[in-house]
Amino acid sequence: MLRAILLLLACQLGGEAIHRLTGLALPGAVIGMVLLLAWLALVPRERPTLAAVSGWLTAHLAVMFVPAAVGLIDEGAVLSRYGLALVAATVASTVLTLAVTALVFRWALRFVADGDDA
Amino acid sequence: MLATPLLWLTVTLGVFEAFDTASKRSGRHPLCHPVLWATPVLIGLLLATGTPYATYHAATLPLSFLLGPAVVGLAVPVWAERARIRRLALPIALALGAGAVTSIVSAVGILWLLGAPRDILASIAPRATTTPVAMAVAGQLGGIPALAAVIVLFAGVVGAMVATPLLDALGLRDYRARGFALGVAAHGIGAARAFQVDATAGAMASLGMALNAVVTAALLSVVALLV
Repeated sequence: MLRAILLLLACQLGGEAIHRLTGLALPGAVIGMVLLLAWLALVPRERPTLAAVSGWLTAHLAVMFVPAAVGLIDEGAVLSRYGLALVAATVASTVLTLAVTALVFRWALRFVADGDDA
Repeated sequence: MLATPLLWLTVTLGVFEAFDTASKRSGRHPLCHPVLWATPVLIGLLLATGTPYATYHAATLPLSFLLGPAVVGLAVPVWAERARIRRLALPIALALGAGAVTSIVSAVGILWLLGAPRDILASIAPRATTTPVAMAVAGQLGGIPALAAVIVLFAGVVGAMVATPLLDALGLRDYRARGFALGVAAHGIGAARAFQVDATAGAMASLGMALNAVVTAALLSVVALLV
């Protein structure tokens, strides 16, 4: 258990270090995700504990960003001025993205040897 | 006592749990997402008690801290799906690229046309990624993390609600394409919806969410270098 937590924290720390050193706008945790993926590929073995720990974290993601969402308390001016525009842009962008992603995926499936993957 | 993390952590978990129970009873309807309801209630409590956001933010840092390791852990389901990723490499790569660009360009483009300033554009640009990534990317680009969190949440709810009628209307029956699109367009909330419909769709949606977190963040960090 401790080892799984250590692995997650070490990857995040590495990601954070790369983020600071390169000055990239890519967040440290995202670089950390790529580092963990590389680690899993380099040191392949069964990792039930890591799967359990990261699964628990992912399952409780929602409560973790509540404190950030409460930060809207200081954004009243922005919301009253751009609220409608934000709603319109978010709805349009989400619908377009869904359609484009699904259509491109289906189109590109024709180049895949017909798999029975389901 | 008001200055220690104990009070606001307890209150935050308590309020969230109450709405999470209600959300479970609703069969996880997207409009009953607990964050959608817990956030205004907590804002009300801060206002009623005259607590500045800075105090609340500091008190709830132990909770926010977990977001980082949670994002890193998204690598685990991606690794577990490596056989499927290899088999479907081309559809995944093309759909992911097209989806990420569509999401950024349409969201930023519409707001730009409506005259929004740069910090608002930076807040909506990562709207298709999972919330912690969107907050971090928005912060990096000079946007408002709290605004990004709420935009992303709303996008998830919209995606989960329109996906079935929209994809049916487009005649898309392949659950791999449907699930992947939901994950790319509507992150975790979309993935939760996909899991309700079909296990393959759910796995593809989780994959789409994790991969898009990396691709959108990378695209936007390149854009940040250019503008």
